[in-house]
Amino acid sequence: MKESYRQTDENELVRASIAGDKLAFGEIMERYRKMVARIVKGMLGDSVYAEDIGQEVFIKLYHSLPEFRGEAKLSTYIQKIAINLTLNEIKRRKRFFSMFSQKGNSEMYEYEIADFESEEKRDASELVNKALKELDPKFRIIVAMRMLQGYSTKETAEILDLPLGTVLSRLSRAQEQLKEILKKL
Amino acid sequence: MKPSELKKFIIGSLDENTDPQLSAKRLVEEGVLFDFSKGFSDKVLNKIMSGTDAVTREIEFTRSMRFAFNRVALTGVAAIVLLLLSIFLAEGSLSFNSFLGIGDTYDEGIISMLTGK
Repeated sequence: MKESYRQTDENELVRASIAGDKLAFGEIMERYRKMVARIVKGMLGDSVYAEDIGQEVFIKLYHSLPEFRGEAKLSTYIQKIAINLTLNEIKRRKRFFSMFSQKGNSEMYEYEIADFESEEKRDASELVNKALKELDPKFRIIVAMRMLQGYSTKETAEILDLPLGTVLSRLSRAQEQLKEILKKL
Repeated sequence: MKPSELKKFIIGSLDENTDPQLSAKRLVEEGVLFDFSKGFSDKVLNKIMSGTDAVTREIEFTRSMRFAFNRVALTGVAAIVLLLLSIFLAEGSLSFNSFLGIGDTYDEGIISMLTGK
């Protein structure tokens, strides 16, 4: 078993992880942890539930690695798992809240503001979290992909398996909704 | 960045003609960070390892069930063979009537038994 996998190629990491090498899978998590956090927390908010979904993403990834054929990038594969699990969670919560509460979408989004080095950074994070909280979940994924992950509209459409026109129209509607939300904040 | 500037920046970052990668980078610089808590990777690895144990236990359980099924099936087949042999020896044939125990009963006998004639 290798001591460190920092410089190792992704395919080798996948092979080693399938063979049961904990260190190799740990390195995959290290490389993609923040990316998954941006998707999950961007859509669900910064809460313990998001942590649970994040864990589920990597557990599912570990078990599905033998099926990964390397045709797509590993990052795309992980993102798809993260998006699917997060959307499932949103649907589950929607069902739950529609049964027990009359409140809106914002109830499905929770966040905790962690310790920041400065007040300004804390405010920035709080503002983004509040804005995402108020945003329609349908638009939240599009905004998270573009604003937090830095993907272009075309890349977002490919990852989400949506037509480019749909992404463009949702992006424009999300922007309108965000304008209204940010006015109130 | 002041809150009003940040608001403008957030809205502007969704414009089709802005560079999304630069915007995302800028947000990180402004403190908009998303990450999991400390010990996240260890928790995942622990769950995976305990999950592997569960999978191993499941495989072992299936294997013992299969073994038990084979034993039961073999015993069942042996019992059926013995039953067929005993029927053949007692009735002299393996017809349906022999299975019902009416192998040596004649139709006329049944009619007279039922009608009394």
